[in-house]
Amino acid sequence: MLDTLKKFLAGVDADYADLRHELKKVTAVSFSGKELTGIGSNATDGFVARALAGGGLASVAFTKEADAPKALAAAVENARLIGRNIKKPVTLAPVEAVKDSFAPPLREDPRKVPMEEKLELLRRYNAIPLGHAQIASTAMAYADSTRERAFASTEGHEVRETLVTTRVVGEIIAREGSLSQNVRVAVGGSQGFHHVRGQEEAFEARTKIALDLLKAEPVCGGTYDCVLNPSLAGVFAHEAFGHFSEADIVETLPAMRERMRLGSRLGSEVLSITDDATMPDQLGFYKYDDEGVPVRRRALLENGVLTGRLHSRRTAAEFGEPVSGHTVAEDFRFAPIVRMGTIFIERGPHTLEALLETLGTGLFVLDAKGGQTAGEDFSFGAQYGYEVRGGRKGRMVRDLNVSGNLYRTLMAVTAVGSDFDLAKAGGCGKGQTNIRSCHGAPHVLIKNLVVGGA
Amino acid sequence: MEKLLALAGKAADQAEVYSLESRSSSVDFENAELHDIKSELTSGTALRVLKGGKLGFACTRNLRDREELVRNALASLAGGVEAGFDLPAKAPATGLKTSDPAAARTKSADLAAECARMAGELKSRTKGEITAGAAAAEQTLRIANTRGLDVTVRSSECAFRAGAIFPGSASSISRVFKAKGPASMPASALDEIVWLFNAGLKEVAPAAGRMKVLFMPDAMLALAWRLMHGANAKSVYEKVSPLADKSGQKAFSPELTVVDDALDDSVPGARPVDDEGTPTGRFSVVEQGVFQGFYSDLNYAKKLGSRPTGHGYRTTMWGGDPLELKPTPWLNHFAVAPGGKSLRELVSLMDRGVILCDGLGPHSGNIPNGDYAVGVAPGLYVERGEIAGRVKDAMISGNAYETLRRVVAVGDEARPAFGGLFPPLLCDGLNVAC
Repeated sequence: MLDTLKKFLAGVDADYADLRHELKKVTAVSFSGKELTGIGSNATDGFVARALAGGGLASVAFTKEADAPKALAAAVENARLIGRNIKKPVTLAPVEAVKDSFAPPLREDPRKVPMEEKLELLRRYNAIPLGHAQIASTAMAYADSTRERAFASTEGHEVRETLVTTRVVGEIIAREGSLSQNVRVAVGGSQGFHHVRGQEEAFEARTKIALDLLKAEPVCGGTYDCVLNPSLAGVFAHEAFGHFSEADIVETLPAMRERMRLGSRLGSEVLSITDDATMPDQLGFYKYDDEGVPVRRRALLENGVLTGRLHSRRTAAEFGEPVSGHTVAEDFRFAPIVRMGTIFIERGPHTLEALLETLGTGLFVLDAKGGQTAGEDFSFGAQYGYEVRGGRKGRMVRDLNVSGNLYRTLMAVTAVGSDFDLAKAGGCGKGQTNIRSCHGAPHVLIKNLVVGGA
Repeated sequence: MEKLLALAGKAADQAEVYSLESRSSSVDFENAELHDIKSELTSGTALRVLKGGKLGFACTRNLRDREELVRNALASLAGGVEAGFDLPAKAPATGLKTSDPAAARTKSADLAAECARMAGELKSRTKGEITAGAAAAEQTLRIANTRGLDVTVRSSECAFRAGAIFPGSASSISRVFKAKGPASMPASALDEIVWLFNAGLKEVAPAAGRMKVLFMPDAMLALAWRLMHGANAKSVYEKVSPLADKSGQKAFSPELTVVDDALDDSVPGARPVDDEGTPTGRFSVVEQGVFQGFYSDLNYAKKLGSRPTGHGYRTTMWGGDPLELKPTPWLNHFAVAPGGKSLRELVSLMDRGVILCDGLGPHSGNIPNGDYAVGVAPGLYVERGEIAGRVKDAMISGNAYETLRRVVAVGDEARPAFGGLFPPLLCDGLNVAC
């Protein structure tokens, strides 16, 4: 495939162009309640062309190889149109023209596991919640996805990397009378099928939470000091802060860009946030992004001071900052955009008990249920929580949704735990879905969070 | 396509080929300047087979080997996904006008010119950071099956958006406008952005409590997704619908009427059939507060012993790749019927409340139970019928089924937004935390 890509790029009349081909193979099994609703394997593929010409950068996604010349010509024409209409020409930060072929280190290749075994595994996990009378329904899905990416550029990049993602994600719905409560379950990772084996305990634990929620009280909306567990604190790092480390978001927002200057104090002294997709054996691992740039560890916030940012080659040049290898596409249908890889809050010194004691009165809030951000404002749901009085965990509460302001909340992180956990399955939707978007954290204590009850 | 269908038909009791060809171009302006142009030239084919009461499925983008696609679909039969339904045999001619040939002739430069006009006007009339976008798309969908159905739907859409972002945030006052062919954002829409943006420049910090909330079209997902979940035949089958026993009952405010009209070709996206080839129609979900009944695809209609309503679509809450997705019940043409009040009249009805321009986190929370809690992005605080300023760090929460009983007035214009066509919806006595 690389030779084909290079052949099409050879005649392009542009300052720079690249072509990416992806073959995506997905094996999926799904249950809705006790019923099997889907099973099968599919292979789909396609191309994305990008061109830098006349001071603009544009892209075309296309399906058929024969359309490559037409797609490249359209990308060049659109790039020139952009160039004629902007004050400052787009440039790309210089990088080494990598030539490499990389296969992920898989402990157990899901492609070699028979379909029957995947079906049985999911059936077994699904039966765990369904064994309880008060569990009304479930939605469970197994999927392994293999993306064979080939990338070539007119600068001489020749990069192949395969990304394999295995996961079981689902929802458990408990019901009593007219009350429904749902919790999510997710296991998986990027290093093979072993991530989803032997996970019965996870499904049992989530089932218990769904059942307990039927007896929990709705939280009373208001402002609370909160301890967030690692799952939720990871979402906080992702939503409240991470998206504004993505340079393509702040690039065209002058007021935010001014506030997000490197060296600015954005958070409290105890808060440090890093993105490191290079760590082995975790969901967000990759070697090269979709511009052929090796991904790097990037300290983003160090003791509350902004020290780094996630970049594409375009934004790195625009900001005059180093490239980081964070330009990632969902698949062959999309041009790449700046994405977090594996973002996490660095460990602190405190045990959970110490955090709850420092909290005194407030809420202990656990496990993410979706999140969203719009500039300085963010919001995320939590699956459940507990009232805390006198540093002790009290009764369970439900219907927890947290909203806040980026700047105020980062300053309001007052203590960080010494434990640490990373997400097993992702699903960030910044226009495209990134199932390998990984986040993590220790437990953290945050003052004055706005919590919306039902 | 005929060869593929013949091949699949030989190996199965029934077979269906779904093919899609799309071409689009979209232009983005950021900070009032041309920033990006993305184009798409894509196609693909999906195959469903029914054999012995089981369902098989496969899809591909580049159909290089028909036999391989059929083999994949047959292989997935072995899993044993139950399918007691038959594919529809034919679709009636509807004469829908779903396409404007001029859309195909729209160039990136034309889209950029309209963005420049919108951005220029908003820049000169507000202190916002201006975002704008325009896209032209055309699509050919063909669904054919071995029972004789063969439908082709050519459709086109030109979509425009413009917004003014409050500096320091990424929250904007924005509008979307869609047409089947070349068009431009109406002056009244730009005037409204200017009005709301300038009125929201001042930050205010009102006390929390119960008050009126005006859901603007972009904020309606928090309510629409929950109503769609409850009215879904799949939720009834799984016994998780809060509306299961509410058919024919006054479950909502009499101000509320919700229809799903796939045959309304005055807007882009009209469809004579759903993604399974079932004929569509004007489907009433709520009529003046009375819940009308459940929508279904072939599969859940069969399971419930009811008639399919023409709502089998290959989609999810966030969209997704229709070729890779199997049909599921979905209100693809969800529309809240407009009422009689202009936006200014709705605001004047608010003694105290929040205009929720967009809600953060409509997907969070307990959708099956109807609970929602959304952050304001942005929210404008109203006192004595006048916008006092912009409220930050606030959250609006409730139960969608209860909130829809609290609708007191509906705006006079249904506007396109993600998830449907919505007029502004004024509700009373909602919980605002701030």
